[in-house]
Amino acid sequence: MSTEQIQGIAGHGSFFQPTHLGAEEAAKATDWVRKHVDRRTMDLGERMDDIREHMWELEKEGEIIVHRITDAHKPVEVQTLFGWTKKIPTIQLWHHKSCGQCGNIPGYPTSLLWFMNQFGYEPGRDYLDETDQTSCTAWNYHGSGIGNVESLAAVFLRNFHQAYVSGKQHGHGLGHFFPLVHCGTSFGNYKEIRKYLVESAELRERVKKILGKLGRLVDGKIVIPEEVVHYSEWVHVMRNRIASELQKVDVSNIRVTMHAACHYYKMVHEDAIYDPTVLGGNRTAIGTSVAQALGAQVIDYSTWYDCCGFGFRHIISEREFTRSFTMNRKIRVVREEANADVLIGNDTGCITTMDKNQWIGKAHEQNFSVPVMADVQFAALACGADPFKIVQLQWHASPCEELVEKMGISWTDAKKNFEAYLKEVEAGRIEYLYNPELALGGH
Amino acid sequence: MATYAEMREIYDDIRGDFRYDHELNGCLNCGICTATCPSAQFYDYSPREIVQLLWTENVEQVYDAMQEKIWACAQCMTCAARCPFKNSPGGLVMIMREVAIKHGMQSAKDVLRPFGRVMLKLITTGNQLSPDMIQPDHFPDWGPNIQKVEGNLKTLRKAIPMRTLQTTDTAWEVSLKTSVEMYTIWEMTGVLNSLETMDENLFDVIEDFIDEKREEYDEWLEEQEGKGD
Repeated sequence: MSTEQIQGIAGHGSFFQPTHLGAEEAAKATDWVRKHVDRRTMDLGERMDDIREHMWELEKEGEIIVHRITDAHKPVEVQTLFGWTKKIPTIQLWHHKSCGQCGNIPGYPTSLLWFMNQFGYEPGRDYLDETDQTSCTAWNYHGSGIGNVESLAAVFLRNFHQAYVSGKQHGHGLGHFFPLVHCGTSFGNYKEIRKYLVESAELRERVKKILGKLGRLVDGKIVIPEEVVHYSEWVHVMRNRIASELQKVDVSNIRVTMHAACHYYKMVHEDAIYDPTVLGGNRTAIGTSVAQALGAQVIDYSTWYDCCGFGFRHIISEREFTRSFTMNRKIRVVREEANADVLIGNDTGCITTMDKNQWIGKAHEQNFSVPVMADVQFAALACGADPFKIVQLQWHASPCEELVEKMGISWTDAKKNFEAYLKEVEAGRIEYLYNPELALGGH
Repeated sequence: MATYAEMREIYDDIRGDFRYDHELNGCLNCGICTATCPSAQFYDYSPREIVQLLWTENVEQVYDAMQEKIWACAQCMTCAARCPFKNSPGGLVMIMREVAIKHGMQSAKDVLRPFGRVMLKLITTGNQLSPDMIQPDHFPDWGPNIQKVEGNLKTLRKAIPMRTLQTTDTAWEVSLKTSVEMYTIWEMTGVLNSLETMDENLFDVIEDFIDEKREEYDEWLEEQEGKGD
């Protein structure tokens, strides 16, 4: 059975009958659907509430405390899907890590912290990376259904309370550090949960009991952040400074494709950033915008809107779905249609899925591959970061060495240096991005 | 086979979730959700069908869909972003999964069995996965080139220039106090009860682990008090 036949029948029920339309007729018949799904749609804006307005009301009523983005956070304003304004803090950030990134793609957070150091940020004052945080736990929830709104809300409020008070042990006031969420799923999940918390007094009451027991209330109230901010939004607002102040490598010969994480712009989609100067404003701007600012060739492609195939549970225990989808709908298209040198992303699961599932394609004669990494890793390479020590490409399975070489950086030399550095590490001489004591509350 | 009354109870639990009215507003059968759904391309699954079954209050077929179909959804939420009625088929699937677990449905147990080690990691450490889980033995289909530098995992992790990431059995180092707070959340929100319904053996292992960690934390607290005296 051909792929077309399988794709046509699956999911459509036993009553499905092939139409036998020609390619042109089929395109005509589905034209209006394609127009709808492939363009930014603005028509729902008027019917949608801005949850942040209700947060201010709740704060006035003495129900909650809003963790504010102040001038000290040097915010930059951006526009979201419906043209609403969102504030992105650029400094005094509490790094809320991603379990998938830290476990599997550590070059993600290290590249991000490296950029902050390059801009002269002082660890412990301008950013903080500490051990007092859990993951959002939403990967497990979406994969298994074990967990519930109450548990997700309690985890969200516990972590964000810690962000709110974390400055104290470093000699700063409450709210000094504002949370910067590294993971796309955490970002989507937290915003969804924030919405439920603002809308449901009953949910607030239930989680208040839990937070109270944990000692995680401030003046008897829960703390909700003014904005939920994703690291790729920080990269987006810093992109011109990255390009003008830090760029060292000409990337004008590099063809870049972007895969934006579904949980970044499809969950609570009204909050994703759009910019008319990036892909005509029809795609969320993050990721693409930094590649554009660095002068790379940004290539649009026909399956841009598709998911990567991660599936939460699927990547662990139904991997044939994950790898089939990612190879057919992502890797093949960016390779054969866009002729890309790199596929960049902004989330954990997507990078893992697209990076790790290329080799197995050979079993089905899918002999194509493309380097996969995060937007911030690509930007760090362009700014002269070490491909191993900082960008940590040694953890990637896709052929990242091809991209590095095309950028004019010697992979062989960098690898040799890193192997020599491993000896230093074994001897206890480790180079850190910040004083390691800071992670444990020290100075 | 469940009785109609049992199926009705399951259906009522789905409808009774406070998110239900957010996620289901009507349906034109336009199929945009299914057209953009990754799972519909590989499974006998259609988000449009899920919405229709709920919208038409088809109690028996809702129950049937909960056997396998709801587990096909990849939770990408493309359907939710695209629906002209602002439905969230993916959100409805999450409610159905929670209800399947609450009722201890055998199909849910079967589907989740291979996911056990991830649940164990998450519930006990707050991290979903760890570097020592992502080894060639666990993922032979990721190929021989899973890492580009040979070496001892501990050393390679030590070569990450962030203190919190120099771990092998968790993605990052989570403080003991944080873990203990998380266990309280699991208990107070019924997550441990759900786990017990789904997999008693896994629950036992997790409970022992939690007890041990709590003891460790109490000892640490006592030590701190001792230092203060």
